[in-house]
Amino acid sequence: MKTRSASYICGGFLLLVLGACAPSTTAKPDGSGARSTDATATGQDARSGEGDRGATQEANTGSSSLKDMQEGKPPITPASSPLKDVMFDFDRYDLSPDARTTLRTNADWLRSNPSARVEIEGHCDERGTNEYNLALGAKRAQAAREFLSSLGISPDRLSTISYGEEIPVCREHDEQCWRQNRRARFVILQGRSTS
Amino acid sequence: MRSRSLVLLIYLLLTITGAAQAAVTGEIVGQGGQRFPIAVSPLKNLGANNADSGRVSTGIADAMVHDLELSGWFRVLDRSAYIENAESGITLGTFDFKDWSTIGAEGLVKGGFSIQGDEISVELRLFDVYQNKERIGKRYTGRVRDFRRIAHKFVDEIINQFTGVPGVFNTRIAYVSNSGGRFKEIFVSHLDGSEKFQVTDNHTINLSPAWSPDGRSVLYSSFKDRSQTLYLFELYSGKEIKFTPKGGGRYLGGKFSPDGQSIVATFETGGNTNLYLLDRSGNVIRQLTNDAGIEVSPAWSPDGKQIVFVSDRSGSPQIYVMDAAGGGARRLTYSGSYNTSPEWSPKGDRIVYTGRVGNRFAIFTISSDGGEPRKLTSESFDSEDPAWSPDGRFIAFSSNRAGKYHLYVMQASGDNQRRLTGSGGDDTKPNWSPRLD
Repeated sequence: MKTRSASYICGGFLLLVLGACAPSTTAKPDGSGARSTDATATGQDARSGEGDRGATQEANTGSSSLKDMQEGKPPITPASSPLKDVMFDFDRYDLSPDARTTLRTNADWLRSNPSARVEIEGHCDERGTNEYNLALGAKRAQAAREFLSSLGISPDRLSTISYGEEIPVCREHDEQCWRQNRRARFVILQGRSTS
Repeated sequence: MRSRSLVLLIYLLLTITGAAQAAVTGEIVGQGGQRFPIAVSPLKNLGANNADSGRVSTGIADAMVHDLELSGWFRVLDRSAYIENAESGITLGTFDFKDWSTIGAEGLVKGGFSIQGDEISVELRLFDVYQNKERIGKRYTGRVRDFRRIAHKFVDEIINQFTGVPGVFNTRIAYVSNSGGRFKEIFVSHLDGSEKFQVTDNHTINLSPAWSPDGRSVLYSSFKDRSQTLYLFELYSGKEIKFTPKGGGRYLGGKFSPDGQSIVATFETGGNTNLYLLDRSGNVIRQLTNDAGIEVSPAWSPDGKQIVFVSDRSGSPQIYVMDAAGGGARRLTYSGSYNTSPEWSPKGDRIVYTGRVGNRFAIFTISSDGGEPRKLTSESFDSEDPAWSPDGRFIAFSSNRAGKYHLYVMQASGDNQRRLTGSGGDDTKPNWSPRLD
């Protein structure tokens, strides 16, 4: 599974920021990859890897949900994104076994792409109060960040933001929809440092 | 950067008759009490004819009818039932009380106006039809376009006459609306939707509007600079202050203290939310809570000595009260697994909040000493975001009972739930201004 997703990413049209699109066999532990330590999202080095086959320098995680909303697009994580959404139960921010599995896969990619910086977005379904949901979304994003960190991903590469219930990916008013909205989403930051 | 501000209203109020004490005071107050039958006659044009005359004549009457019905204390008799002829006057002795007692009116509002340029002069009187007496007489002058405010002011007088406490219709509601689009912006308007003013227009998400106690500023949170923080917008100057959170944290919302000198705000950093006391410029005075869980939605007691807030320290969101200096937190709600967005009544006795009932949300109140909560809205739809009127006799809230979320007002007992807004979008998060001049 790991290899499949890695080769898909590298062989696909999307592309990889950072010239760090190396198969996992050559990937170094977080931050130590010789080729990628000096690579930046926009730097020339980024173009030297396999990733330069793509016209874009972005791994396709989509843009931030706020930007999506401003552009009138649904804040969907593309099916091809190497970083998958992590889902939560109502009013919960603990990580289910499924969530942990997803995060391990996300961690693999982050390990293989050590200069990628990611913003973790916390989202909630529409039920409940806006301010509480903003706090709940912050908890969800932080839970994902801490688990990735426990897998060896430097927290310096991971920033968090909560959109609470404000930017739903699905707008119907039923559980089918709500479940899709209770998530942490992972968006690669372009040329911007995490703060 | 667009400059926007609300125009300050200037008008004059004169008492034109000494109002006798009403014999009816107190009669209509109380839960389940009978509604007082009142007639509101369209106003007479006392000046020269003017293009605005017809609009103003019925407009002032309509605004008064709206407010009287919204209060829940009056039954306004339908205008089509009025039998008085057009020659009747508006002062004692120039009309026949029988024309009004015949149709069942016990109270009667009459008035007249004259327009000169963009100035209007309005006189309004409340009569006691049973006792054939005048109870209130007022003259107002102002700009023609502000005529609805004159109506709201007079209804506040009428309510004072009947209940001993002025009404709350010369006020504004701040709220969040998506206006049918995808952005959430802050608006303020009168309760009848008039004088609607858009506070934000930044095409992002703006939330949690809260009035300053002087009614001149609105505090709100926004994603307009990407990272969520608070902004304090002065309505009449259009000036705005941004609160800059320390250490890359975020402010999710805040509320002014009753004296207007400080703000209690929800601060988030590293996934933890805690409450902080800030000054009016957003500088931290002190941290009030220090908990690893969720601590949000603070609101002040009317004496400024305590703060009610939401914490999930018990494992689910519940309502707590603590000292305004921090510490001494005690849990208030024990029923239900999800209780949020508390607001302390201006009377001090009760706290209103949103509680989850099954898969729905309803408005509850609970004594500020705890005890059994009282459910005010039905769980066959959702009702959220309760906010007290400045006199504590009404609660504004948002509900999806008509499909989209609209703003509603009810009496503090839960009686007389009436819809305020009907925009094409979702209107949420009402916050009621103090009484305005």
